[in-house]
Amino acid sequence: MGKTLLCACEDVSLEEVRRAFAAGHRDLESVKRYTGFGTGPCQGKSCLALVARELLRLGATPGEIAPFTSRPPGQPTPLAALAALDPATLPAGHQGVPPEAPPRRPGPGALPPLPERADVVIIGGGILGLSLAYELARRGRRDVLVLDQAYLNAGASGRNGGGVRAQWSTSDMVTLALRSLALCRRFAVDLGINVWFRPGGYLFLAPDGAQVARLERNAELHARHGMRTRLLSPEQALEVVPHLDPSRFVAASWNPDDGVVFPWPFLWGYATQAEAMGVKVRTFSRVTGLRRSGDRLTHVETDRGAVACQLVVNAAGAWSKQVAALAGVATPNRPTRHEILVGEPLEPFLDPLVSLLGTGLYFSQSQRGELVGGMGDPDEPEGIVLGSSLRFLARFARASTRLMPRLGGVKVVRQWAGCYDVTPDNNPILGPAGYANFHQLHGFVGHGFMMAPAMAELYADWLTGRGKHELFDRFSLARFARPGAAVGEDFIIG
Amino acid sequence: MPRLPDPRFDADCTIVFDGQEIPARAGEPIAAALLAAGRPLVARSAKYHRPRGPFCLAGSCHSCLVRVDGQPNVRACRTPCRGGLVVRTQHALPTATHDLLGVIDRVTPGGLDHHHLGTSSVPLNRAMVAFSRRLTGIGKLPDDPLLPPATPREEPFDVLVIGAGPAGLGAAEALAEAGRRVLLADSEPRAGGRLRCRYRLPGEPPPSLAGQVEARVRSAGGEVAIDAPVLGLWLDGGSVLALLHQRAEPGGLRLVRPARVVLCAGGTAVPAGIEDGDRPGVFWGRGLAVALAEHGTVPGRRAAVLGAGDEASELAARLDEAGMVVTLVPAARRVLGRGRVRGLADGSGGELGCDTVAVVQPPAPATELARLLGAPVAFDAMAAAFAVTADRHGRTAVPGLFAAGEVTGAMDAAQAAEAGRRAGEAARG
Repeated sequence: MGKTLLCACEDVSLEEVRRAFAAGHRDLESVKRYTGFGTGPCQGKSCLALVARELLRLGATPGEIAPFTSRPPGQPTPLAALAALDPATLPAGHQGVPPEAPPRRPGPGALPPLPERADVVIIGGGILGLSLAYELARRGRRDVLVLDQAYLNAGASGRNGGGVRAQWSTSDMVTLALRSLALCRRFAVDLGINVWFRPGGYLFLAPDGAQVARLERNAELHARHGMRTRLLSPEQALEVVPHLDPSRFVAASWNPDDGVVFPWPFLWGYATQAEAMGVKVRTFSRVTGLRRSGDRLTHVETDRGAVACQLVVNAAGAWSKQVAALAGVATPNRPTRHEILVGEPLEPFLDPLVSLLGTGLYFSQSQRGELVGGMGDPDEPEGIVLGSSLRFLARFARASTRLMPRLGGVKVVRQWAGCYDVTPDNNPILGPAGYANFHQLHGFVGHGFMMAPAMAELYADWLTGRGKHELFDRFSLARFARPGAAVGEDFIIG
Repeated sequence: MPRLPDPRFDADCTIVFDGQEIPARAGEPIAAALLAAGRPLVARSAKYHRPRGPFCLAGSCHSCLVRVDGQPNVRACRTPCRGGLVVRTQHALPTATHDLLGVIDRVTPGGLDHHHLGTSSVPLNRAMVAFSRRLTGIGKLPDDPLLPPATPREEPFDVLVIGAGPAGLGAAEALAEAGRRVLLADSEPRAGGRLRCRYRLPGEPPPSLAGQVEARVRSAGGEVAIDAPVLGLWLDGGSVLALLHQRAEPGGLRLVRPARVVLCAGGTAVPAGIEDGDRPGVFWGRGLAVALAEHGTVPGRRAAVLGAGDEASELAARLDEAGMVVTLVPAARRVLGRGRVRGLADGSGGELGCDTVAVVQPPAPATELARLLGAPVAFDAMAAAFAVTADRHGRTAVPGLFAAGEVTGAMDAAQAAEAGRRAGEAARG
């Protein structure tokens, strides 16, 4: 028996598209993520219409068939070519391409209705919301509704670089991250779906003495937590990543137990297992209001109807500030765009995630062999902006090829952006705020993905009467009213 | 007969393909030389290690990726030959022709469910992840760093016309007539788009149109950039900024800031979409017609032209004139053969022997650049295609962005030229 290939770049067959549809992925964005079609060198130019036609045959209506988001560059382009562009001539602060369009909802029959009431409503179907729903259900609190405005993985949970590390600068973050790493190692078995956790380590490079001092402080902290973090000379770092230019850094920090994952399946895994225990996950359902009575929220209003509830959790990531505002609660979050790109798939050449401190540059190689890298931009203004800029391509290309010249021939196939949910002290906002039953679970500043598995356990313990971790007092919204109370996390990259 | 007997197509150098010398014509694509040498199998597919070869012959499908002079994932259909060029197959053990990993395809008749593979225990999962990583990736890291080309400076133009097929030629001509400074850019090595197929269809503009329009564009102060794909459209700086990769001399990147854009990008080859339709020896009809006309490529002895209509008949006529035994086949269920095509099956026991299949179906409109700027596209369920929504004058919902020709839906070349002309008139501003 032969195969009918719809996407030749990634070898996605008709049968795989049918399986994805049967698993509930009806829109092209979701089918793309579940099957991998359209993610290869041609970026869907050849196969998009073929897959759309098949979805139509399977029962999708023409109205719900919309192409997945187009991403630059239009052809695989070597980093060396992009490094010719001068970022100074490409000003920051523009919206980028494509302009954000409202998520296109599948036809009326395709979405199950919202319940009239639920014990817990979690706003945001990213990894924080879904992992919390899963952990609540495991602890017996199963009347849980998770709402997302789009398809699963549309937000930062589906847009991040998939790094999971324990190399942090505060004890709180180290502790959480170590637990998340332990859960990542078991996730595929516990949740029944591969996340391709690969412990290739994290290699932080310090370009100057001040950055070396940070690494030394962190290494002492890590040693107290039993981690294997080691400080390396440039020569030792070259043994870990042979192609680096050793003149670009003076020391490195290396923890071989950090690693990378493939982000998307985490959401499918948590959602599927939570739903099996009775949780309801409703996509394409946007929260429009929060109804209040006295010191409690009573209903979550959406564009598909209102839901009465006992408890509301704001896990809306970059949108959490807007969600809090619906209840009149002001939060200091500053959502800020961070851009990222992916290259052509190459045979393994890079084990760890590499980050050059002080520049925002980081890159790793995914399980599929693609270079995945991003670079924060100090000139990026606050705002929920998801478009892509040429400026980012130019900045990343210059910085990455300087640090690792052989990346010059690596071709970029796609760029995109997500938002960091930035807080004043780079720590999350947790616990009730404004109303006794309005819980906050946001403000993770680009590391919410890696912290979520551990965070959800602690939060679910608290919400099911199993004890409240001291983190929840330390990271309450109220801390911003008493400056100096929380130790800021300073080891943010990207 | 590997090539048309014409001195224009005679081999004048050799390239080295997996250690074997292959006669080639300097300047022709690697794919043309390999097809002339009877070597349609040039690659292995990403997951199943299926035999692959050039399909679209037009730079879009990426089925012909090879390593060339130490650079991975180079398109054989897009990279010109020169004497001594070293071409290697990738992602195979040991070569694409004889790849032991082809067993993956044979033992997974229903496909691989990579989401649930090896999830029964933690040690098994860990081993599976480590092992599968060794199988991933197409090609190795480049041997040498490429040097950045010169830093491009922004070049203003009145209008950027993307695509020099009938629609783009029509638009550029209308703009140049009105004195507009146009940059007419095309990703192909020659202007003309589908006119390069040399089909003799009713109303089809003559191939000489390209030369006439080029002269007119230049006389109005504009420029024609051939072999210059538009890598993307961004909005850095607040208005449309296009990045072009000028592959021909002098080469390098170009940053273009046009006041308006007319998108005439035509369409992209669509895979056959039938069982084993990805076998080496299956080609996109238009790509094959161009290769025959411009490089004398005759890919085999017996061809099946899969499709119906005027284009299919014209392609069959061209292949017949080239000496192939040609059969027109309106529909088929399956391609026979493995390392290369050996026939077509119709699903009810009927089989047709052939070593070449040319797929004739309307290309998928190349909507990507329009979507980058937020222009709406519509799905035509009958045609099973997304197309840019534009009015009779090529106006899209995005100010300053016009679209004409096959990027807005199927039409013949005469209609495309007319639509392009109207869009060019509307884009004069």
